[in-house]
Formats: sequence, structure tokens, C-alpha cells
Amino acid sequence: MSAPTRYTCEDLFRRLDRFLDRALEPEEERLVREHLESCAACAGEYRFEETLLSEVREKLARIQAPSDLMGRISAALAADGRREDDG
Amino acid sequence: MAEPARAEAASFESLLSPILGSAYGYALSLTGVAADAEDLLQEAALLAFRAFDSFHPGTSFKAWFYKILTNRHFERFRRKRRRPETVELDDVAELYLYRRTAEAGLHELTDDPARLLMSKLGAEQVLAAIGALPEEYRAVARLHLVDELEYPEIAGVLGCPLGTVRSRLHRGRRMLQKALWHVAREAGVVRALAPATELTG
Repeated sequence: MSAPTRYTCEDLFRRLDRFLDRALEPEEERLVREHLESCAACAGEYRFEETLLSEVREKLARIQAPSDLMGRISAALAADGRREDDG
Repeated sequence: MAEPARAEAASFESLLSPILGSAYGYALSLTGVAADAEDLLQEAALLAFRAFDSFHPGTSFKAWFYKILTNRHFERFRRKRRRPETVELDDVAELYLYRRTAEAGLHELTDDPARLLMSKLGAEQVLAAIGALPEEYRAVARLHLVDELEYPEIAGVLGCPLGTVRSRLHRGRRMLQKALWHVAREAGVVRALAPATELTG
């Protein structure tokens, strides 16, 4: 069977997860992008999935460590070093 | 602490400090509780420092540290009672949230329904949705989405095959969509955006 020259909606749907992961082979990615340029339905679905991932990523990235955490870790490492010196 | 040990601690801390924020976020995704995340991170830092000789300069300190943190979490988790999952997450179909938001009429309100829905959810709610995932899916989702580790790095951190990482990531994303929808509905977000629509699922 020869390689496809264009993707159908079904072809794209089966590759959507890997496309979102940037894990497709270059030729597959090219065919996916070509289909998205010409299919409003698939483009809408892809845009939704991509936006959702971006929004989740952005919200999770806002979570910050307590400001004194590195200080506490440093103190714990120093205490551990002193225990080794004494022991 | 003797001078060579102090220098080694300083070297270790110079590598840990830049990734501490993301490591804390990862620990929080695993444990779900801020106090537990802090404890986990401190314990992992101590273990990593004691094993610092095994880190190869020039390789990813983040991936190396995350592996230690993950292993420590699994050791602690086995001793704790399993967190009950509040949302049934088996067999979630593809495009779950796309279809639910369409049914709710959000696609008629805006041409960016994903952004509209997510604009009504805070970081804590997204974290709660992540927390609803089974543990093995939670870790993969976080490592790929936020820490932006590639499949092989995630496989190394979690100690599982590449194919397993891929399938957990894809299935985990679908579960996360259902969990986000559940969180949004519980918070009254969907009703506020589209009160007249009868919702399913």
C-alpha cells in the first residue's frame, strides 16, 4: 500500500494525541497540518485540545514553593553533614 | 560541616535551587497536600544529597532528582491509605471536554470555549482535577504537561517502558478532561456560563 498523499478526518483523529505531543514523524506532521488548514471541524477540535493543555500547564505552573523551603532544605543538609561528622 | 562537605552542599544546592519550584509542584501533584509535598521534597533532597556522587555532571539534574523524589513518594504512599477517587474515570472517550462544552452551549458563546471554561477555574481546582487521577497517570500528566519532559525522560523518572508512558499520557489526558468537567460542574461554573442548557454525563 502506498503512503497517503492527504489525510482524512479519521487519519487525523487517530494521530491527534501524538500530534499534541509533537511526537509524529515529519511527513505525518506535514500531512496533519495540511489537513488542519483545510478542515474547519478538525481545526476546531485541535485548537480546543491545544488550548486546554496550554491553560492547564499555565495554571499548574503558577503554584510556587513556600519561600522558606530552600532555607529549610539547606539547614537539613547542614544538620545531616554535622551528624556524619559526629558519627 | 567540614569544608569539602560544605562545598559539596553548595554545589548540590546550586543545582536544586533553580528546579525547586517545579519540583515542589510535582511533589504536590503526587501527594495532593502541601505539608506532605514539603516533607517529600525535604526527604528527597536529603536522599539525593547523600547519593550526590551518583549524579553525572552534564546530564539532567532535574530528571535525576525527580527519579529519587518519585521513588521516595512510592515508598511513602505504600504506607498510607489510598486516596479515594471521587470521579469514575474509566473509559473516557476522546474529545470528552470538547463534546461536553459543546452540549452545554459554550461553543455558541465564544470561538474559544476551552479558554472560557478554564478562565473560571483556579490553580487549586486544576490541581484537584489532577489529584483525582490514579497515581500512575497523575505523575505522567504533570511531568509532560508542566515539566515538559520527553517520553524517554519520563520513562526514566518513573521506571516504566516508553509505550507505557505514551498510553498513560494519552489516557491520562482524557481522564483529566473528565475530572476538570466534574470540578467545573461542582463549582457551578458550567451552570453560570450556560444556565439554560440541559447537561449530560
